Amino acid sequence: MKRSNFVEILTDVHLWVPVVVLILGIALLMTLR
Amino acid sequence: MSTNATTASVRSTISLHKLGVFCGLAAAVWLGSAEAPTKLVTVGFSPFIISMGMVMGAFVARWTVPTLLKGTGFLFTDLREKPHLIVWALLGGMLWAVANTLTIFAVRNVGLAIAFPLWNTNSLVGLFWGCLLFKELRGSQAKDWAKVIGGAGAIVFGAAVLAIATAQQNSGAPGRATIGIIAALGAGVLLGTMYIPYRKAYISGMNPLSFVTIFTFGELGTVTLLTAINTGGISPLLAELHRARPMLFWPFLGGFCWVIGDLFQQYAAKYIGIGRGIPLSNTNQLWGLAWGALVFGEFTSVTTSGRLLILVGSTIMILGAISISMAEPAPSEKEHWDRAMHRECNRYGLNSDSVAAVVAGNDPLADDKQQRRWWELVIMLVAAGIFVWLALGTRAQHIYVSMPWMIVLILGTMIPLGLVGTLLWRRTRFS
Repeated sequence: MKRSNFVEILTDVHLWVPVVVLILGIALLMTLR
Repeated sequence: MSTNATTASVRSTISLHKLGVFCGLAAAVWLGSAEAPTKLVTVGFSPFIISMGMVMGAFVARWTVPTLLKGTGFLFTDLREKPHLIVWALLGGMLWAVANTLTIFAVRNVGLAIAFPLWNTNSLVGLFWGCLLFKELRGSQAKDWAKVIGGAGAIVFGAAVLAIATAQQNSGAPGRATIGIIAALGAGVLLGTMYIPYRKAYISGMNPLSFVTIFTFGELGTVTLLTAINTGGISPLLAELHRARPMLFWPFLGGFCWVIGDLFQQYAAKYIGIGRGIPLSNTNQLWGLAWGALVFGEFTSVTTSGRLLILVGSTIMILGAISISMAEPAPSEKEHWDRAMHRECNRYGLNSDSVAAVVAGNDPLADDKQQRRWWELVIMLVAAGIFVWLALGTRAQHIYVSMPWMIVLILGTMIPLGLVGTLLWRRTRFS
């Protein structure tokens, strides 16, 4: 993968929205256990 | 160019909107039917193990079906052209796995009747993300907004009515309601957010069959990790799987059916967007209900008012689906879809002409004769071998099954597979 693409991925809102939701989901799951 | 023009002329001319609607409805049939095999699982197994069995079946299906339809050469070429999307495919699988585990907590705490409608709100979450991040519904007229949002709302409401009507038969243990409700809502948000990777992949020109082959690694890896945590480690997990061996065939079969439904859902997300495609596939509850009521005789003790509620809930859901089916995006909305596609092309250096062709169902590579590899035969044989091995010595729960209705519903499941699969092939060559 090109280096420029790597930067684009890391700064893409389409990445951070699901990542934040995933982290919150895992946190919720761990709390419920 | 002339070759493409010739092949395009022999393809079906059905509109992508109609094709996407048919895919969404076929997805509902298969996703709903996927629940049927798991009903034959004998009691006494952890829901985590049953879920893990389904995901293992899904893993097998997510490699065999794409390999059978397109071949590994096509899949690897597609992945090599858009390697950045591997991140989103893995992320989608992880979101699904966490959401699915949350649904198990929700059902345990508040029962399916309350939990299901709450996590069914995922279609509304998907609609929100589709509109916000991918410009779906932008530029459309007020009546189209009303048809889509009203239709999606009706499907969620219909799901709630159906869940209440069937609550007596399906409810889990009461208590710890707040936790259950939070878990169900959390699952809805995660599932709705999972459609961001779907849509991103498809407006970037990725083939749904390539996407799912990577998605499944995120799915299986996360489910394995979560199940290991919940069963107390890898050794207890393996011991549980060994103990569950006589019943693993059923969740495996359910997982396989689920993947076929999911593939139709992926094509619906590609051709009509997540705002329209996901609510349509979420009508799967109707099919799950049909299997439960007609084949397994689950609702024989439902009162007259309960039957009326089932009728009302089903009707509302069907009306919602009709409403969305009639909301074909106007050219002004399509311009916004194109802008979302060009954003991806500019950001990741994709060839916009090629991506536009793929998004329109005319993948230039789709008609190329793909060379078949020897390992594809190995993949098929291994998959078939796993199913035969699991089927040998399988035990099923001794429950009432209506064979005539089972035959009717199996036919009702196979016919959409044949019809919509043929339409997809004729119009897009599964691109």
